[in-house]
Amino acid sequence: MLAFAARRLLVSLGLVWVVASLVFLVIHLIPGDPAELLLSQGGIAPDPAAVEELRERLGLNLPLWTQYVTYMTGLLRGDFGLSLQDEHPIGEEIALRLPRTLELVGAAGVISLIVGVPLGVAAALRAGGTLDRVLSACAGLALSIPVFVVGTLAVLVLAQELRLVSAGGYVPFARDPGRHLALLLMPACTIVVGLGAVVFRVMRSSVLEVLERDHVRAAQARGAAPGAIIRRHVVRNALTPVVTVVALHLGSLLGGTVLVEFVFNWPGLSGYLVRSVEARDYPEVMGIVLVISSLFVLLNFLVDLLYAVIDPRVRHG
Amino acid sequence: MRRLSIRALAAPGILAAIIVLAAIAAPLLPLTDPVRQDVANRLTGPSFTHWLGQDEYGRDVLSRIVWGARVSLSVAFAAAAMAAAGGTLLGILGGYFRGVVELVTVRVAEVVLCFPPLLLALLVVTLMGPGAGTLVFSLAILFAPGFARVAYAETLSARSLDYVTAQEALGARTRRILARTLLPNIAPPLLVQFSLTVASAMVLESGLSFLGLGVVPPSPSWGLMIRGARASMEQAPLLLFWPCLALTGTVLVLNLLCDRLRDLLDPRGKAAGRPGFLRRLVALPAAPVGALPAAPGLLTVEGLTLEIPSRAGQVQVVRDVGFSLAPGETLAIVGESGSGKTLTGLAVMGLLPSAVKPVAGRILFTGRDGQVRDLLRMPETDMRALRGRDLAMIFQDPSSSLNPLLRIGAQVGESLRAHGVTQGVKARVVALLRQVGLPDPERAADAYPHEVSGGQRQRVMIAAAIANHPRLLLADEPTTALDVTVQAQILGLLAELRRAEGAMGMVFVTHNLAVVSDIADRVLVMYAGEVVEEAPVTDIFAAPRHPYTAALIASMPEGEAERLSAIPGAVPQPWAMPTGCRFAPRCVMAAEACRTAAPALVEIASGRHSRCLRWEEMA
Ligand code: SF4
Repeated sequence: MLAFAARRLLVSLGLVWVVASLVFLVIHLIPGDPAELLLSQGGIAPDPAAVEELRERLGLNLPLWTQYVTYMTGLLRGDFGLSLQDEHPIGEEIALRLPRTLELVGAAGVISLIVGVPLGVAAALRAGGTLDRVLSACAGLALSIPVFVVGTLAVLVLAQELRLVSAGGYVPFARDPGRHLALLLMPACTIVVGLGAVVFRVMRSSVLEVLERDHVRAAQARGAAPGAIIRRHVVRNALTPVVTVVALHLGSLLGGTVLVEFVFNWPGLSGYLVRSVEARDYPEVMGIVLVISSLFVLLNFLVDLLYAVIDPRVRHG
Repeated sequence: MRRLSIRALAAPGILAAIIVLAAIAAPLLPLTDPVRQDVANRLTGPSFTHWLGQDEYGRDVLSRIVWGARVSLSVAFAAAAMAAAGGTLLGILGGYFRGVVELVTVRVAEVVLCFPPLLLALLVVTLMGPGAGTLVFSLAILFAPGFARVAYAETLSARSLDYVTAQEALGARTRRILARTLLPNIAPPLLVQFSLTVASAMVLESGLSFLGLGVVPPSPSWGLMIRGARASMEQAPLLLFWPCLALTGTVLVLNLLCDRLRDLLDPRGKAAGRPGFLRRLVALPAAPVGALPAAPGLLTVEGLTLEIPSRAGQVQVVRDVGFSLAPGETLAIVGESGSGKTLTGLAVMGLLPSAVKPVAGRILFTGRDGQVRDLLRMPETDMRALRGRDLAMIFQDPSSSLNPLLRIGAQVGESLRAHGVTQGVKARVVALLRQVGLPDPERAADAYPHEVSGGQRQRVMIAAAIANHPRLLLADEPTTALDVTVQAQILGLLAELRRAEGAMGMVFVTHNLAVVSDIADRVLVMYAGEVVEEAPVTDIFAAPRHPYTAALIASMPEGEAERLSAIPGAVPQPWAMPTGCRFAPRCVMAAEACRTAAPALVEIASGRHSRCLRWEEMA
């Protein structure tokens, strides 16, 4: 098991390095000068002297490989550079905002599993029945509503019209745990609409597939009760593909929470990213993209580990 | 089936066509200019001139919705078309040439898939600035890998098709082959991918516009409209509602279209019926009243007939099968695949697949309590109490019959727990594993199925089956998946168990007559769903009285040879049964009479039956 984990970790670290290099190259090799881009905000051509000064300050005049080495060694120390807008250390801002995004994504993932897995099992066991048809139709609808529409409508109905909840915002957990969780619930549930539908669909088809397997029939031949068969021989085996799908979706959600954070004023990493993109603050964008991509890689690593826990064949293979 | 799918395609297809047409015809429709402002009348509700009201700048909402469709759809279609063209080309090149080309096309495209999509789009926006052009470009990059992957997979499979290889051998030019044979093959999956992409592209476009990083105002876009209406949500909530409805409705229609399209092109993906084991249909004619004999032996099957639905209506896969078994006796049911022997066994266990329906017959079984029951008409809960206790079964493939995620001990213990044993399960499991000859049973109980060999897995299955000393053991091809030496060991184990459990009857289902002589007392030969011969084991080998049995014996491997020399021809399909004797098309003795009248199963001597018109000539 330990050897397995170590091997996977090594591969993941390699991937992070590749991603970091890619991000660096994309920013530096794509035609267009970042300094010029930054200064030409209003659409007017910037002063060449100012551009030159900025290039000097950012080290853009150094040979590419020197910049690369500087950037990579900086990263090793956790140094993402300074923001172009206010010279604020980017690493600090990321460290402040990342946990909030992770909390949001994590909560959404957990709720999606809690909702999607049992409903998926229930629908599969009565495949073709009324419950299954209603749930499948709901899932189809849920998958068609863009996440920011869900969020906006939720604010409109729940906060604006019914005044049940507040329209969004953020309170640190340490200051007021109850309010913190209440504010977390709305954006999290907004993500759940789509993610829960995905979990439901995957779980449903996975259960249908597992039900046809020989070992289920063998368990029946032993006289095991339907409940026990579903628990021990169906649900557990059916969860494997769900783990993959949820992990992949959570990964893309790390970038995709942008919209939800925007709608609910949740001060996470994605809001930071939007601000950086608007300001074309490329060291910030680089830092955030790198962190999110690394998390994505990390997530895949964790999924592999989880697989090994669920399926003994993986950890021995 | 296909016609049904096409009709299902109609509704979303028509709706999608209406939306696209409205978007195309926007300049021709009698709509107000979508960007003309009328600040004096800002946020006015619906009126005769402005059916859906006016927005925060007094612009006509209906007009902006229709024009917004034009913007959203054209961005989405342009991006999808670019992605489709680029991605497909990369995929085909990669799949066709393999090697280095594959590396730089398909593998590079897959790297793009590693990034969260919205993140990648934002990265492109950073580099190029917002605007419709950037949008199309970044969405195209995002979606191209999806097309590349589909095209790559299809190209690989089409490439291996015989006719492509043949054309290449004939010297056809590579480009011609690509154009003529590959494109028609990959078109259907690409079509599905395309409609999927248009829907996703619309969602992403509206999302980016909503953030203010997509379409640039004052162009109407649904994302921008939602963004604008958010600010005036308190005064005019309806303003928010219309673009949300338009966007969601369009995406829903596109998704539906895509689902239906996929069903049409790949009907396999459609969900089958409901799972069999939750529902046991007792849709049988009531049993003949008072006809349960007092002592039918251990098991008596009478007139068992099973049906499955097919293109030609209900067809019989097992017809009028009967046999009986005394305690301590072993009966072998022999036949090729398609003979109905396995279904007969499953019917006894009450484990028939949901599509197979019993329509006639009785299965009388004497339980441990001495009571005779008709298993074909028993409620599922009562049947469950018998399964694994009085009735047990071992299956063909021990590897798939064990749950890979559960320890061996837990699965053997399940037999005990299911029948009320709670104390000392562990010790009894170990004893059982020792009894079936597993080396180091304590370790084996804690092992997972993949950690032991195939033969040992079958021993585990046997241990689970005999845990409650069953009265009847059904073995369905228990040695087929194993190699020859292991086969002999498992047969030896089963013979040993029969000696140990004196009263246990056994039904041994197999296609291999060679294994029968070692283990069976009597043999039942089945062909095409019918019993064709029944005889004591010694007689069947010495003097078969049905040409099919004779053919089976003739095809038995000599000595240690593993391959059976098969009987020429194949078992007829259940919906295409010959009218006369079902074996006639393959029978060496077939005469004219055989093709007209179906022969009946006749008793030719005490304990011997044959379903052949010419059995006497075989003596
Ligand atoms: S009835 Fe005729 S065709 Fe059928 S098995 Fe006998 S000889 Fe052959």
